[in-house]
Amino acid sequence: MTKSHSTRLLVVDDEVQIRRLLRLALEAENYEVHEAATGQLALSEAAGVHPDGVVLDLGLPDLDGKEVLRRLREWSQVPVLVLTVRDGEEDKIAALDSGADDYLTKPFSRRELLARLRAVLRRTQPSSEETIVRFSDVEIDFAARIVRRAGAEVKLTAKEYDLLRYLAQHRGRVVTHQQILRELWGANAEDSTHYLRVYMTHLRQKLEPNPRAPKFLQTESGVGYRLVES
Amino acid sequence: MADARPALDTPPAPPSGWEEYAFSVLVIVVVTAASLILPESYYLSVGLIYLLAIILLCQRVGRGPVLLAGVLGAFAWEYIFIPPHFSFAINSLQDALLFGTYFVVSLVVGQLTAQIRAQAQNARLREQHVTALLRLTHALAEAKTLDEAVFAALRQMDELFGAQTSLVLADGAHKTLIPHVASSYALDEKERTAAEEAFRTQQRAGRLTDNLPDRMGHYLPLVRDNKTIGVLGIKAPNSTLTPAQQNLLEAFAQQLAMIIEREYLRAASEREKLLAESEKLHRTLLDSVSHELRTPLAIINASTDSLAGADSNLRGQLVNEIRTAVHRLNRLVGNLLDQTRLESGTLKPRLDWCDAGDIVNAAVESTRDALAGHPLAIAVPEDMPPVRADFALTEHVLANLLLNAANHTPPATPVLLTAGIEPGGQRMFFTVADRGPGFSPAMRGRLFKKFIQDDAASTAGLGLGLSIVRGFVVAQGGEVVASENPGGGALITVYLPHPPPKAAAHAAC
Repeated sequence: MTKSHSTRLLVVDDEVQIRRLLRLALEAENYEVHEAATGQLALSEAAGVHPDGVVLDLGLPDLDGKEVLRRLREWSQVPVLVLTVRDGEEDKIAALDSGADDYLTKPFSRRELLARLRAVLRRTQPSSEETIVRFSDVEIDFAARIVRRAGAEVKLTAKEYDLLRYLAQHRGRVVTHQQILRELWGANAEDSTHYLRVYMTHLRQKLEPNPRAPKFLQTESGVGYRLVES
Repeated sequence: MADARPALDTPPAPPSGWEEYAFSVLVIVVVTAASLILPESYYLSVGLIYLLAIILLCQRVGRGPVLLAGVLGAFAWEYIFIPPHFSFAINSLQDALLFGTYFVVSLVVGQLTAQIRAQAQNARLREQHVTALLRLTHALAEAKTLDEAVFAALRQMDELFGAQTSLVLADGAHKTLIPHVASSYALDEKERTAAEEAFRTQQRAGRLTDNLPDRMGHYLPLVRDNKTIGVLGIKAPNSTLTPAQQNLLEAFAQQLAMIIEREYLRAASEREKLLAESEKLHRTLLDSVSHELRTPLAIINASTDSLAGADSNLRGQLVNEIRTAVHRLNRLVGNLLDQTRLESGTLKPRLDWCDAGDIVNAAVESTRDALAGHPLAIAVPEDMPPVRADFALTEHVLANLLLNAANHTPPATPVLLTAGIEPGGQRMFFTVADRGPGFSPAMRGRLFKKFIQDDAASTAGLGLGLSIVRGFVVAQGGEVVASENPGGGALITVYLPHPPPKAAAHAAC
C-alpha cells in the first residue's frame, strides 16, 4: 500500500456533509485535503493548489461534472476519481471518456474509496514504470513477457497476455471495453466483445483460485474490467 | 318564418288543380243526367243523391272542387228537379226552405268531409313521423359509440327529408364548434356564421328564419340544460319545410342533443372513475413507500442513538445494522428509479456480449446481505458461452428474483440460481428456484403487475420487483415464466434470445 505523506487532494462536492465525511476519511490516511463546492471554484483551486489527485462529484450546481473534467484536462493530467449518484453505465463511460481515471457510485464504502484513490494516484508516480506486477499468487514479468502462478509458468495466448498486461498496467482502476478493444485490436468491431468475454473466461480459469467467483479479474457491470489487487 | 308553429291538425293542403274542378263538374253532370230518368215526383230523393255524390267526391278532390260541386249540385237540383222544372222559380215555401237548408247542408257536409279526409292524411303523416322517430331511437339505442349514433341519425335524416345534414359540436369549453365527420355537407364561411349565430342565440338561424335567411342551410341549436352543445344544419333542395316536417326536425334534434349529452356525461363519469382509481393507487404507493423508506431510516436512527454509549462489541453489531439498512434503502431507491424508467418509456437496453457468470455474481453480490440465512446454490455450466444481454438490466432482474426468493420463503430454505442454453440453442435462460410456498394459481395471473403482494408473504419491498423483472426482460426481447418448482416452491425462468455470433467464438491467435 503506497501511502504518500502529504499527498494533496482536492475534494469537489456541493454537499457539505459529503465533503466533511470525505475529509475525515482522507485525513485519517494522511492525505492533505482541500475543498471546493462548485465547478468554477474547483477549477480555480486546482490551478492554485496543484493537487496530486482530485475527487470530483459529477452533480455540481454550476457546471456539469464532465465539463469540469474537460476543462481540467485541457491543462492538467492530474488523476481524477469521479463520484456519481447515477448508476447508469452511459454516465460512467462518458465520465471515463471525458478524462476520469475511475468512478465511485454513491453510496460508496470507505474501503472502495481509498482503494480506488490509491490506484488512480499510482498513475503519476515514478514507480509506475515497474516491470513486475503481482497479485494473488500470480506474477507478471513485463520485460520477459512471462506469467507465473505459484512459481510455475502459465501458458497464455498472445491476446490473453495483452489483455492481462493492459489490466495489470491499470490495476486498481477500471478500464472500459472500448479501451481494451482499442488496445487489443485497434477497432471496435461488435463481435470483439464476444472474444473479450471468452479470453476473460480463459484468464480466470488459468489464474483465479475460483474461476466462477473471480476475486481479482473483476467485471465492472456494463462498463469494463478492473484488476483488483487485494 | 317565425318560430311559432301552426297546429298540426290544420296543415295547409296543396291547392287543387283544374282537373279536380273539372272532375267535380263532371260528377254533377253525370248525377244530373242519371237522375233525369227518375219520375218527376222523386225530386226529394234526387236531392239526397246529389248529397251522396258530394260526400263521395270528398274522397277524391280538395275543398275547392267540393265547394263547387255543392253549389252546382244545389242549383242544378233547384233548376231542374224542384217544380217548376227547368226554372229557377220555387212554387211552395216548403220547397224554398228545402232548397235553402239543402244548400247549407251540402256545403257544410262538403267541408266537413274534406276536413275528415285532411285529418286522416295528417294522421298518416304523423304516423310516418312517429315511425321515423322510433327508427331513430332504435338506431341510437343500438349504437355503441357516439359517432355511430350520430352517423345513424344524420343518415336517417338525409333519407327522411331528402336533404343534406351537418352537425357541429361544441368543444369542452363550449367556445369552438367542431364539425362532425358524419356531416353530409361541409360548412363554408357563410354557412358557419349562421351555425354560430344559432349557437350563440339558442334560436334557429339561416334559411326559413329571420336571422340570416340568405344562407343555404337551416340551423337548429341543440340545447340541453340551457347550454348549447351543438348545431344541426339541414340543406334541402326544395325550399320549404312543412310545419310537420319542422316538428319532426325538432324532435330529431332533441334526440340527438340528448344522446350527445348522455355521451358527455358518460365520458365525464369514466374520467372520474379513472381518476379515483389512480388516486387510490397513488395512495397505496405513498403508504408503501413511506413504510419502506421510514423503516430502514428508523433502524439507522435507533442504531446511531445507541452507538454513543456502546462497547466495541455492540458497536460492531450496530454498524452492521446500519449497513444493512443502508443497502435496503439503496435497493428501494433503485427499484423506484427502475420502475420510473420503465414507465417513462425511456428505457433503451444496451445489448452486448456478456459473461452470464459475471451477471450472476454481480446480482449475488448486491443481494448478499438479504440472502443471509438462505443457502444459495449457483449452477452455471463450465462451457457457458457469452450471452447477448444488457448487463445492468439483467443484473437487476436476477437481484430482484433473488430478493423475492429470500423474502417469500422461510429462513434457511435453499435458493437455486442457474443459467444455461435452451435445447435448440435459440434462447438462453436463467432460473431462480426456492422452497417456499410458491405461487397460488390466482396469483400467477397477476404476478407481474405493479404493487402486487402476496398476502401470505412478508411485506418486504413495494411489490415492484416482479413488474421490474418483466419490464426489463421484455425490453431485451426476452420472456419471463413463473411456474411451480417440482417438489414445492416457486420457479421463475427468464429467457433471452441467443443469437449466433457473426464469427467463430474462438479466434486463433
